[in-house]
Amino acid sequence: MNAHSMAVAGAPVTHKGEVLLSVESISLRFGGVKAITDVSFDIRKGEVRAIIGPNGAGKTSMLNCINGFYHPQEGRITYKGVRRDKMRPHRAAAAGIARTFQNVALFKGMSTLDNIMTGRTLKMRKGFFWQALRHGPAMNEEIEHRKVVEDIIDFLQIQHIRKLPVGKLPYGLQKRVELGRALAMEPELLLLDEPMAGMNLEEKEDMCRFILDVNNQFGTTIALIEHDMGVVMDLSDRVVVLEYGRKIADGTPAEVKADQRVIDAYLGVAH
Amino acid sequence: MSDVAAQPTPNLLANGWIKSGLIVLGLVAAAIVGARIDPTGTIHAIFVDPFNQMAQAPDLLAQTIWEGLVSGVLYALIALGFVLIFKASGVFNFAQGIMVVFAALTLVGLYEKGVPAFLAVVLTLGVMFALAVTIERVVLRPLVNQPDIILFMATFGITYFLIGFGEAIFGGNPKQMIAEQLYLPKGAIDLKILGGIVSLQKIDIAAAIIASLMIAVLALFFQYTRIGRALRAVADSHKAALSVGISLNQIWVIVWFTAGIVALITGIMWGARSDVSFALEIVALKALPVLILGGFTSIPGAIVGGLIIGIGEKLGEFYWGPLIGGGIESWLAYFIALGFLLFRPQGLFGDKIIERI
Repeated sequence: MNAHSMAVAGAPVTHKGEVLLSVESISLRFGGVKAITDVSFDIRKGEVRAIIGPNGAGKTSMLNCINGFYHPQEGRITYKGVRRDKMRPHRAAAAGIARTFQNVALFKGMSTLDNIMTGRTLKMRKGFFWQALRHGPAMNEEIEHRKVVEDIIDFLQIQHIRKLPVGKLPYGLQKRVELGRALAMEPELLLLDEPMAGMNLEEKEDMCRFILDVNNQFGTTIALIEHDMGVVMDLSDRVVVLEYGRKIADGTPAEVKADQRVIDAYLGVAH
Repeated sequence: MSDVAAQPTPNLLANGWIKSGLIVLGLVAAAIVGARIDPTGTIHAIFVDPFNQMAQAPDLLAQTIWEGLVSGVLYALIALGFVLIFKASGVFNFAQGIMVVFAALTLVGLYEKGVPAFLAVVLTLGVMFALAVTIERVVLRPLVNQPDIILFMATFGITYFLIGFGEAIFGGNPKQMIAEQLYLPKGAIDLKILGGIVSLQKIDIAAAIIASLMIAVLALFFQYTRIGRALRAVADSHKAALSVGISLNQIWVIVWFTAGIVALITGIMWGARSDVSFALEIVALKALPVLILGGFTSIPGAIVGGLIIGIGEKLGEFYWGPLIGGGIESWLAYFIALGFLLFRPQGLFGDKIIERI
């Protein structure tokens, strides 16, 4: 990927200070089931923020709240200084929030190229009329965006599967295509839901490298959910730990690792 | 589509073709042998006599094929409406048939109220747009991310609502389509060819031309534009489409409105050939075998499927129908579709069904 394609993301961020997104005491219930209870944390510009916790801790629900799939019943979500706790998913996308899914949500029948092209949807704005004729400005636009997509394909080293329908690809590659689609949106905030689940060691290392590269080269802020503690320690600047829908720790990887409640949550403790 | 059982690899698929080829070959061989042994019996009547008739009166054959072609084009139009919605939302829209009737009734109804013909067309388009928005708001939006079968059942609901609503407003009596007022041609062209006269209705020619144009435009639009890609994306995965910023609501209004336009044109063409009544809705179900033949996701498939069903039906009725007392036109299409399901479940042009286990 070149500088042009990621211009929006801005120069590499040196100071990781400014708050990009903040979550203030949100609670989410499904009927009587409490998925999230009174959780607050923030994500600062340019950082890699990990959300960890045992199964069912409410991690995915948290991401779903942030990008508008769920709307929390209580609390506030502020993104870039604007309150948006009732944001719809496609509005979140327009505001620069991209995401991947735990169980890969790709367009199975479409090729890798077309899948990543869908990430450009919001960037393509030439009129319906030209679109329909496939001529003039719309054609130029298509070519321009195609170039960005090819850059992303080079970056993720998936040239060899450009034309294959993604439904046929192995799981590890599907996850990579999904990351590519999210990157094509040139997001400011990238939400990754278990980007390394179900991968072998080599694939995990590749994925780690891509995530770090995205963060370093383009300054994209990343929030990720991960189970592998080693990965979390290596990648993230700060970690928030959830258990049974509540926040039990928040801090640097080293701090979190030393926290007794976190150790109890992960290793189990006799109550 | 994605939930359909796993599809064999291309290798096995090739075997499928070979298998069907062998069966056809076997039938032909059996027919030839049978006809030799027994020149006047049943086998002769089925496999030899109809072809003799065709050869003896080529003008009649041409006329039959033309009739089939025209009804085929109209089937293709109806199927096109189904394909549009299926491609974009993965839903088989049972209501497409009634949308055809509803559009045609609205047009004629407005004209009867004294609205000039072309203004009535514009207003009807407005009504179809309002219908699309309403369906999106009231039916589809609350059902986002629900299984396809639930959306399918919802289209049944839409069907019965539209039947009741249409009857309440326009009454249940058949109406005359305002073909003349819309400057659709009348009368017929008689061609003196093949030792006889083949008569082509001008309205049929017009229908064929209009349908072809519309199909071409839609096919290009779907395949090569951002919105086309977005439509296909929505069909594949709702949540992924949402996450890249595609607005489901907007896409659904677009497809349902497009399906409404297709419905109106179909309604005008069908209506001009017979009349506008709720019986059309049953005819619309013929789109089902057309789709099985052509593939649920393919616009060219809808056309080829429509033509095969249309022509097959007319030839079957005319040449083979008398053998079993006629009236086979009403079920032959389903019979052909059944044969196809056995050998090529995704249809002639459908997307290959991909399923990882």
